[in-house]
Amino acid sequence: MRFSETALALDSIDLNVAEREFVTIVGPSGCGKSTLLYLIGGFLKPTTGTLSLRGKPIIGPGPDRGIVFQRYSLFPWLTARRNISYGLEELGVARADRERIVAEHIRLVHLQGFEDRYPRELSGGMQQRVALAQTLVCKPDILLMDEPFGALDAQTRRILQDEMRRIWHSNTKTVLFVTHDVEEAIALGTRVVVMSSRPGRIKEVIKRDFDVADGDEFEASPQFAALKLRIWHSIKEEVEAARS
Amino acid sequence: MPSRTETVGTVLQRTLPLCTLLLAWELVARTGLVNAYVFPPISTIVIRWISLFVSGSVFSPLGATLWRALAGLGAAIAVGAPLGLLMGRTRWAQWFFEPLFSFFFPLPKIALIPLYVHLFGLFSFSKIMLIFTDCLFPIVIFTYHGARGVSPIYLWSAQARGTSQVRIFWRVVLPLSLASLYDGIQVAVVVAVLVAVVSEMISGGGGLGHAMMLAFRYGDVPSAFAFLVTISLIGFLLYKATQLLRDRLLFWHVTETET
Amino acid sequence: MKLVPLLLVAALWQAASVSGLLPPAVLPSLSSVLAALVSLIRSGEIFPHTAVSFLRAGTGFLLAVVFGTALGLAMARLPAIQRGVEPILLSIYPVPKPALIPLFMVWLGIGDVSKITVIALSCLVPVVISSFNGARAVDDLLLWSARARGTPEHRLLWRVVLPATLPQIATGVRTAIAIALIVMVSSEFISSEHGLGYLIFTYGGVGSDDAMLAVVLYLTAIGFLIDWVYVAGLRRLLAWHAFAH
Repeated sequence: MRFSETALALDSIDLNVAEREFVTIVGPSGCGKSTLLYLIGGFLKPTTGTLSLRGKPIIGPGPDRGIVFQRYSLFPWLTARRNISYGLEELGVARADRERIVAEHIRLVHLQGFEDRYPRELSGGMQQRVALAQTLVCKPDILLMDEPFGALDAQTRRILQDEMRRIWHSNTKTVLFVTHDVEEAIALGTRVVVMSSRPGRIKEVIKRDFDVADGDEFEASPQFAALKLRIWHSIKEEVEAARS
Repeated sequence: MPSRTETVGTVLQRTLPLCTLLLAWELVARTGLVNAYVFPPISTIVIRWISLFVSGSVFSPLGATLWRALAGLGAAIAVGAPLGLLMGRTRWAQWFFEPLFSFFFPLPKIALIPLYVHLFGLFSFSKIMLIFTDCLFPIVIFTYHGARGVSPIYLWSAQARGTSQVRIFWRVVLPLSLASLYDGIQVAVVVAVLVAVVSEMISGGGGLGHAMMLAFRYGDVPSAFAFLVTISLIGFLLYKATQLLRDRLLFWHVTETET
Repeated sequence: MKLVPLLLVAALWQAASVSGLLPPAVLPSLSSVLAALVSLIRSGEIFPHTAVSFLRAGTGFLLAVVFGTALGLAMARLPAIQRGVEPILLSIYPVPKPALIPLFMVWLGIGDVSKITVIALSCLVPVVISSFNGARAVDDLLLWSARARGTPEHRLLWRVVLPATLPQIATGVRTAIAIALIVMVSSEFISSEHGLGYLIFTYGGVGSDDAMLAVVLYLTAIGFLIDWVYVAGLRRLLAWHAFAH
């Protein structure tokens, strides 16, 4: 993927994502992980190569690939409820059904009582819950998440990670989750993709071979620590290689 | 870095719509599609404009308008800046003056022309008074908000170093309020020219506005246009001058975000 | 509370007039001005003029807001339109719009059309500028978020760009209101047979200063009311926006 004469953002990415996988993508800053997500989302067009979802080529954005950004996913002029129902309105869903589905999703992301607030009245964590809900209502085939918890404080981030895991278990969607936080990547992803520094290539793909139950005990486990160290060293290699 | 040819190209692109419009005007006027009396060709206007300068007949009205605008503006600054500062730093001044300015702000001060003519006559003085009144508002309001917005951190820092209240005012509040004052001046400059011209159009007494009205009254549309162009240029040049001066006068100014 | 300073000034004025410090030849007393205002209202004389003035100003203003918003948004979305319109706007910008009144009267006659046109043109500039700048500042991610949820290209302007730009448009419109009033009065001073400006001018001309000031006061009050209602309405309509004022 070339941005211009001099900026090659991504180079020879070849990735297959199976259904119902939770794939996290980590890598050094500037390696193009967000770019990869935007390509899949259809917001950018690849300069070479093809992208396809379920065998069909990707031509532009659409509700089959839902996306949650770090910020600005929500429309500030709509309440949480209206933001969530927006996708349904665009799909032409009837009003009674809309109301039911929206209520379901508000319960899903634990936002009861806050439906009629505007984004500016919601905390960062709550805004991201709305962002998640508004994307899920469109029943996307794949959920793209671009460092969704990156702008939140550490505590809120942990809580939302647990929420994310819970929601994924109950909904089991295919998720592609970009983050710079290695712990987050391991805590959420069944497969972790490590990218090289710019131009971004896939350096390695690691399958998480232990289970991560809800709760915090797994953080103390030796497998977790070992995997975290392994991935972090892999990234550090890239950062140092880029510097020289 | 855009190449040389690129920037020339973009310049052409920007002036093209204007040039096409002017060309269309010229052609439409010359071919008689419209009454050339009320819609003189651009070339005629330009020639007339140049002749006004060559003959020198533009300078007297130009000088009058400029003098009135600047005098009124100067008076507004002299009175408005201290007043704005006072309002920003003293409770009673804020309490008393803010409602007054808020209430009279929506009134088009132009409506006071007949009153001012009655009080101050038909010539420069009444116009200067009106310009003073009109320019007072932006200057006071900007200075007031600027003085109010002075970050407490600067003040505490000065107090911690044992500076007296008066000195704090001179050495902290004043410089920081100057930037806001200048914003107000930039707005007021445009207002000054506008009010000068409009009051001349209505109450006469010389100046570009009056000259333009006379030209219309005598059916000399090209000259009227020429005066209109001169009026616009004055406003534009004065505003540009304040913009350019800003960097030189406020070179020490650090914007909030940088601190 | 906030009215007290106004009342104080009013009291000072009245005191000055009554005590003889301010002779009626210079400035009529507040009481005579208020009496004149009351009689103008009682006789109903002031209302047709109010209607005429504000009908003119309102029409020009509304035309400018509708057309200006559309133009500003179009300029932000389609660079071709921006390149075409921007230079023309920039050349109109430095012209003091009331100075165009006599020209437009030559072109369009001395009736309402010329006045409405100048008012519309004057109000156009702040509205276009604010809607253009606002639309340009709409974060790309908002548009992407809309597209990813099924919004087709042609509906983006209406569904996303316009609501996102409303706060800035509202600020431009507030300026436009003030400009509309200024041009309204100026045009009526220059030539008119009806309207509040006409009343002020005529009363001033025949020396009925108390009636003239009565209309000025009346106009001030209306202007204040319009602005107040506008800001209050804005607070409700734009409740979602973090408004400082």
